[in-house]
Amino acid sequence: MHGIAASQPYVIAFFLLWAGLMKLLSRRMRAQAGRTALARLSGPARAVPALRLVGLGELAVAAALLLPPLHLLDAVAAALLSAGFLVYLAYASVAAPASSCGCLGTHSRPVDVRAFARAGLLLAAALLTALGTRPAAPGAGAPGTVTGVQAGLEAGVKAGVKAADGLAAPVPAVIVLEVIVLLALSAELDRYWLTPLRRLLVRLRRPLAAPPQERVPLEASLHLLRRSPAYCSAAAGLTSDVLETWDEDGMRFVVYGARDRTAVFAVPLSGDDPGAVRVALVAEPPLSGSPA
Amino acid sequence: MRSRRDVLRSAVLGGGAGVVAATAMGSLGPEAAFAAQKTAQKVEPGAPDPDFAEGRIRSIKDNTLLVLGSNLVFHTIRVVDGTSLWKLGPVPFDAARPGDGLYARGVRMPDGMLAAESVWLNIVNIRGHIKNIAGQTLRLDHNGHEVLCHVVPGKSVAIHSESPPTADLSMLKVSQHVQILGAWRPDTNEVDIATVFSPH
Repeated sequence: MHGIAASQPYVIAFFLLWAGLMKLLSRRMRAQAGRTALARLSGPARAVPALRLVGLGELAVAAALLLPPLHLLDAVAAALLSAGFLVYLAYASVAAPASSCGCLGTHSRPVDVRAFARAGLLLAAALLTALGTRPAAPGAGAPGTVTGVQAGLEAGVKAGVKAADGLAAPVPAVIVLEVIVLLALSAELDRYWLTPLRRLLVRLRRPLAAPPQERVPLEASLHLLRRSPAYCSAAAGLTSDVLETWDEDGMRFVVYGARDRTAVFAVPLSGDDPGAVRVALVAEPPLSGSPA
Repeated sequence: MRSRRDVLRSAVLGGGAGVVAATAMGSLGPEAAFAAQKTAQKVEPGAPDPDFAEGRIRSIKDNTLLVLGSNLVFHTIRVVDGTSLWKLGPVPFDAARPGDGLYARGVRMPDGMLAAESVWLNIVNIRGHIKNIAGQTLRLDHNGHEVLCHVVPGKSVAIHSESPPTADLSMLKVSQHVQILGAWRPDTNEVDIATVFSPH
């Protein structure tokens, strides 16, 4: 347990470094800054400076977490930043539900439950760090001096450590799992693993490979019909969509209304030559009881 | 007595009684083609087209639909024998249900009623990226909103680029861009697919 708490600063710092560097260095991210919820918060004109400021803040906290010694304030700063992320995500989902969050990279998807889960997990990691950090005593206080509250927290952590030791949880495995979960919750990375995985599953399972249809779908005949010279010559006179259709002798008959007449088309069921479509205008009113 | 279908069939295949114009060389003669355009009504740019209505069906009484438009204007739409109704394909009048969205085109009567020539029920035209394909459904990401699109056997077709339509939708890929023409299932985020247009 203590190992897990001790490793949290590095996990948080990794994600903050990634987020900060993307915000400061990615040209694409700057180009898309106007479409993030941050632009809504700061105004479109200040979206890029705001993005840079957040990036700098993230890098500063990441540096503080990575550079020893680890101070309680570092962990508190990380926790505050993570809590700020959560508040920002809540704002984004209410005020700009169509905007992306602009957290870790460029993607156009709006804030969803995964973004909240990732920010929540980072906050939990930051709190774990804060609980596991011995405060460097300020001023005259000797190193190791603890306040009552901190003593209580430490006792709790130690109890947790003992309990975890009893379970003999493999610390590296837990940390790897945590990083994997955080990465899996990052919609920015979906195209690298989720999309290929889904493509592979589709290739293996072939969900849409339906048995060959005996009947030609009507839409297929209509597509051929609409490209035919016969339809083009009659289209200006048609007033209704398809009224009736039936198949007979390898042909599909399609009936349209044409004001006080009826247009009937014969579309071959096989072949895709639009020139084979035939049409006749019949002096039979399609609208019986027509008001026209 | 010959049925109406027989009359229409013989008209298109070999002439017959009542034929005004028929295919000679693939298309109609220019007289037939342009005759109808003279009656086409001119609508002022920006003005609402009086012969068009959209909205959702509030109630159905006999052959009349009471429709509430998205601009909160009520339309009374009369459906007659010669009115075409579309709901994932041509359907009879009893397929219309209260709650269905519709677009209707016809002739506006002096009493304000629209005598419909064509009614399209729940028709939608959406673009997006395929998020996932599972079973007989596509999950479409449409501007960040998920739309569940159902493949309907015998009805749904795919058009890849310029190739002819096919009932085989297995060429569709996860993450590709598509345009889907289909019928919305009212008050859900689900759509039955009529046509999937794929750029490749």
